Amino acid sequence: MARLALRRARAEARAAERVMGDVETLRSARRAYLLAAVLGAASLPMVLLYLLLVLSSFADTIVTGPDILEARYSLDNWLMFFRGEVAPAAGRLYTTADILATIANTAIVALGVTAVVVFTSVLAGYAFSRMRFRWRRGLMTFIILLHAFPGVALIIAVYAMYVWSSMPLARSEGAMVAYAFAFTVLARASLELPMSIWLMKGFFDRIPWEVEWSALIDGASRLRAWWQIVLPQVKPGIAALAIFAFLAGWEDLIYVHVFLYIGTAGKVKTLATLIEELTANIETSYLPVVAAAGTLYLLPTILFFVLTQKLLLEAYSGGLKA
Amino acid sequence: MVEVSLERVTKRFGRVVALDQVSLVFEDGKFTALLGPSGSGKTTLLYIIAGIYKPTSGRIYFGGEDVTDLPPNKRNVGLVFQNYALYPHMTVYDNIAFPLRLRKLPESKIDRKVREVAKMLRIEELLDRYPSQLSGGQQQRVALARALVKEPTVLLLDEPLSNLDALLRVSIRAELKRLQKDLGITTIYVTHDQAEALSMADTVVVIDRGRVQQVDTPQNIYNRPRNLFVATFIGSPPANVLYARLTEKNPSLACVEVNKARFCFEGERAARLSRLGGEEVVLAFRPERARLGTEPRSDMLSIPAEVYVVETLGRENVVTLVVGASMVKVVTPPSQVPRLGESYYVLVDPRDVMLFDPVTELNIDYIEA
Repeated sequence: MARLALRRARAEARAAERVMGDVETLRSARRAYLLAAVLGAASLPMVLLYLLLVLSSFADTIVTGPDILEARYSLDNWLMFFRGEVAPAAGRLYTTADILATIANTAIVALGVTAVVVFTSVLAGYAFSRMRFRWRRGLMTFIILLHAFPGVALIIAVYAMYVWSSMPLARSEGAMVAYAFAFTVLARASLELPMSIWLMKGFFDRIPWEVEWSALIDGASRLRAWWQIVLPQVKPGIAALAIFAFLAGWEDLIYVHVFLYIGTAGKVKTLATLIEELTANIETSYLPVVAAAGTLYLLPTILFFVLTQKLLLEAYSGGLKA
Repeated sequence: MVEVSLERVTKRFGRVVALDQVSLVFEDGKFTALLGPSGSGKTTLLYIIAGIYKPTSGRIYFGGEDVTDLPPNKRNVGLVFQNYALYPHMTVYDNIAFPLRLRKLPESKIDRKVREVAKMLRIEELLDRYPSQLSGGQQQRVALARALVKEPTVLLLDEPLSNLDALLRVSIRAELKRLQKDLGITTIYVTHDQAEALSMADTVVVIDRGRVQQVDTPQNIYNRPRNLFVATFIGSPPANVLYARLTEKNPSLACVEVNKARFCFEGERAARLSRLGGEEVVLAFRPERARLGTEPRSDMLSIPAEVYVVETLGRENVVTLVVGASMVKVVTPPSQVPRLGESYYVLVDPRDVMLFDPVTELNIDYIEA
């Protein structure tokens, strides 16, 4: 009897929850359609431009509108691109570039930034969320202040640091290249860090203290409680952070250009600097191949945002629900 | 199984004193309830025993061993939190096995122990589920299983029933008491619910504003409250409190006057009353120990009063009456339903009248001569 009453009470509570889920306003279908139409129209130009870029990468010319129907489509641009035949030059049809190396370089920078950002902000985010130390609040305010500085504004000072710190390595080319990579990764990652640390702190804040205390009482050390109990619960946060960091590294132009491209006298290219190079001579470059490069350059962004939309939305709105 | 004792434990958070010189002994194998209103310091005390908080001063002993400086993972206590604090990314099985895995027991032994404790708490069929798939009552059992599986020297429970619905709470209450008796494990139970404390515990510790108010059996906490706080905190509805004038202060005869009603105490009571400093005394009595009569009685404290409100509860009625500037509540049988505005005498047997010093708020029965 009691159990039956209990079950009924629970069912009622659940029903009440369903009913009280949202303010019950009258939704007008016309208004919904109008809103969708306005938003659709506003985002149309962007979507169209991306579509034209992707189409052009398969066409024999850069398609811009009605010529979509006239262009001939094939995989030629992509084949040429991967063979490295990217820029027409006097005497020969194409100068070649090592595309696989370029993609590898881009990946190294992107993964490097990801590693540095994830490692640092997971540790710092935990410390800011859970530990009490001197200057904690001040430091947090200072970090968010750093976020306000655009990377370009800092580049002269950072470049001065680069030149000064790389001087002892100037004699060995290998060391110089390695240093250029490391410096680019660290400099680019530090631009991402302020936001990432705050994001990560938000994720840690959502884990009740009792769960961590439970682990300590069960016999875990602080480090083990962090590793086995706390960290698995912020996995979605780490994933979101990693995606942001990877894209930042993959797409970056300014820092990669200054430290990696100029720093190695143009020997180490990433996709961003390659496209920059190809479009520098807009009169002579064969743009459909550049369109292929551009599509490849955008691919991770599109993929990540399509696949992980929900996750990113939740990360931006301050963490995941339990 | 050990005895837990605290020696002048003080805990400050900044300028706030959460615990003030608390000395207590939790007897070996006994069920002790820490009872107090919210903010009284009872959870802080529990966390200090668990090692989550360090006392600002004072020592803590498990048996003869001083554990004050031991971190929580070296104390071998079991703790069930109010929100259960299960590990959401682990199955019920892994939740329960976690403390054993940390001890690096062989997996076969872990499996045996987990199934044993799961059987005892009747959660065997839940072992493969995740905490989010369980009801509140089931989560509570899992938390208890995780606390018990490591065979702790002390079991600490922090309001474990407050997140459950009323019916479930009453049934788990009885079960928990039985479980504790079977295991004979020293148990400290924090609650703000007096019904839980009085019904389950061998000993109740009433705590308020960081100080221990009374340590006693449930019967004595209820019938012989040490001070005014305990009298007015315990009971539902709590004890009525009236300020009375002392008109006669002889060691053999002491008389009090309240709302023009006069009553004289003799013997031991009179002697104690005569030793009070001022001209006032605080009277208190339990609503269920008073009766309503139409005429005053010479052998009872008879206070004239007027009915203010009547609550009919089925089993009984709670009548609120105006006495001068104060209100008193009296529990009457269902057959007696007074009407608003009627005049009655509130009749209390002198043995059921509790007397308190208005300055120290101590029960005069506890004041040493």
